[in-house]
Amino acid sequence: MTRVALVGNAGIGTQDHQSSMYGPAFERHPGFQVVDNVDEAEVLSIALPLAERGKAVADAVRAGKHVLADKPLAATLAEAEEIERLAAEHGVVVVPAHHQRLAPALRSAIGAVRAGRVGLPWNVQCDFIVAGGDPAPTGELVNFGLYPVDVVRALLGLEVRRVHATGSPDLVTLLLDHDHGVTSTIVCGRVPELRDVPPGGLAVHRYRISGSHGVLAVDARKPALQVRTTGTNGPVWTGPGTVDALLDVLAAGIAAGRAAIGPHDAVQAQRVIEAAQRSMATGHPVETKE
Amino acid sequence: MDRIGIVLVGAGFIADAHSGAIDADPRAELIGIVDAAPGRAAAFARKQGGIRHAPDLDTALAWPGVDAVILCTPNDTHAPIGLAVAAAGKHLLVEKPLATTVADAQRLASAFQAAGKVLVAAHTHRFYDYGRAVKQTIDAGLIGRPRLVRLAILGGWIWPDWSAWVGDPQRSGGHALHNGVHLLDLATWWLDGQPASVFARGRKQTAAELRIYDYLEMVVTYADGATAVCEMSRAHRPGSIAQRELLVTGTEGIVEQGWDGESSLVFGESGTSTLPAAGGNGFAAQLGAWLDTIGGAPSLMPVGDAVRAVTLGVAVEESIATGRPVAVMA
Repeated sequence: MTRVALVGNAGIGTQDHQSSMYGPAFERHPGFQVVDNVDEAEVLSIALPLAERGKAVADAVRAGKHVLADKPLAATLAEAEEIERLAAEHGVVVVPAHHQRLAPALRSAIGAVRAGRVGLPWNVQCDFIVAGGDPAPTGELVNFGLYPVDVVRALLGLEVRRVHATGSPDLVTLLLDHDHGVTSTIVCGRVPELRDVPPGGLAVHRYRISGSHGVLAVDARKPALQVRTTGTNGPVWTGPGTVDALLDVLAAGIAAGRAAIGPHDAVQAQRVIEAAQRSMATGHPVETKE
Repeated sequence: MDRIGIVLVGAGFIADAHSGAIDADPRAELIGIVDAAPGRAAAFARKQGGIRHAPDLDTALAWPGVDAVILCTPNDTHAPIGLAVAAAGKHLLVEKPLATTVADAQRLASAFQAAGKVLVAAHTHRFYDYGRAVKQTIDAGLIGRPRLVRLAILGGWIWPDWSAWVGDPQRSGGHALHNGVHLLDLATWWLDGQPASVFARGRKQTAAELRIYDYLEMVVTYADGATAVCEMSRAHRPGSIAQRELLVTGTEGIVEQGWDGESSLVFGESGTSTLPAAGGNGFAAQLGAWLDTIGGAPSLMPVGDAVRAVTLGVAVEESIATGRPVAVMA
């Protein structure tokens, strides 16, 4: 059993993903044991306010701890890059909470696209729209824009070279250019609370991957049952949890010395988010200068 | 009541949809057909029970009982033929786009205003059931103030061969003008928005040698901060799966229709295909609205909106060419 200590109960705005997500997932995971003493822990689960998060992760890495970090990994690209460098230097695993790419439908989709099921992909369209819950004071681009960016990177295996963004920080449209003329578009943000969608839940989460030989349409809110009663009408999730799958990634990464999701993914996502912010400010496309 | 006598100009495939609409409306009468290819005009006339036919517009405009024209010719001919129709004092329903340049679109608008005749561009999606239902949902206030439209109309290759005029950007104006204007108009109408800028990307997916973009992604940013993301494609494979998807988010709710929101799905030995539901006749509704306007009712497709659609379509082509957003003062 790998010992893990829970560090922090905060995030962006009112978020407490430690209590709502990571802590319970560690408690039920067969490979981890939650301990109170940080010094006894081999892994730190860090969910601190964003302004403090990057430094705390960097300090943990310097102390030789593996890290599960709330998203985004750090407040700036520079901080994320420093964490990536430190993790390599100290030989520890840092897993940022990019757990949406582990949704069952997306895991299948990533495998299918990378195996050529639609031929050569040339475009991805994504909607990642949350309904209700507490708006992020940073804007939703900073809060969860990295999720769909990370999924698109995983689907295509292509980095983002140019970003054009329009809309507002709480409902933004990202137009991304990748290598080989491949394009993607992400609509990401928060809409008002909707009936039968839990506050803060995903009202729309879908991807369309167009390729030279076919199209893959993915509703990432599935697998689910549709349950209708006299008072409700909504989906009931039937798949494994994405945070549980994230801890599987962490456990496997610790065992292997390298995790399937790492600080480089956070760096690349943050690069896109910051380019989008510059694009919103200038009204023009921005090179990511990767 | 006298029926409105109509001449169809251009006997291509879309003429059948318009003649079907005329047949279904007791207020309208198809007087004759004009096509530069005499044989094609004659064949169409025979199919319609022996109506008049001619290879030139001047002859047709002189036929007795002609009040109006429906124009279904290649896009670059809309302006010169439309101006001739205005000069003859006839009403006009012109296939979209109104024209291939903003200047020509404005010239047409001015000519019909001066003539006191009704000019309508065939932005037929406004008259399809889904287009009207979304508009009614928004106007009823059910989703509050709309902030985002996502609209995708995707399908496979539909044009016959390399000789198709649609594939010639000089004749069609490019795909943004030919088909893109449908979505640009519909999204702007739904949002009741003032377009501020356009950013677009295009792709020649079916063949590198294409001269038009068979996949278009057109993003309009509006003065109030709303956004429209419009995809128009003849590039998606397989072509048997026609997809139309829409999502509108507002300050108080969302309205959406997925690719299966209207169509059924056929799983057959010969493959999989969508089967659109039978429904209202958008061309008939469009014709009816045009006839209403000729009778004095307000237009459901104002000329200014058709000019705006051309402005947006031209901006799309410019944005694709430059890779930059284009400011519009539509």
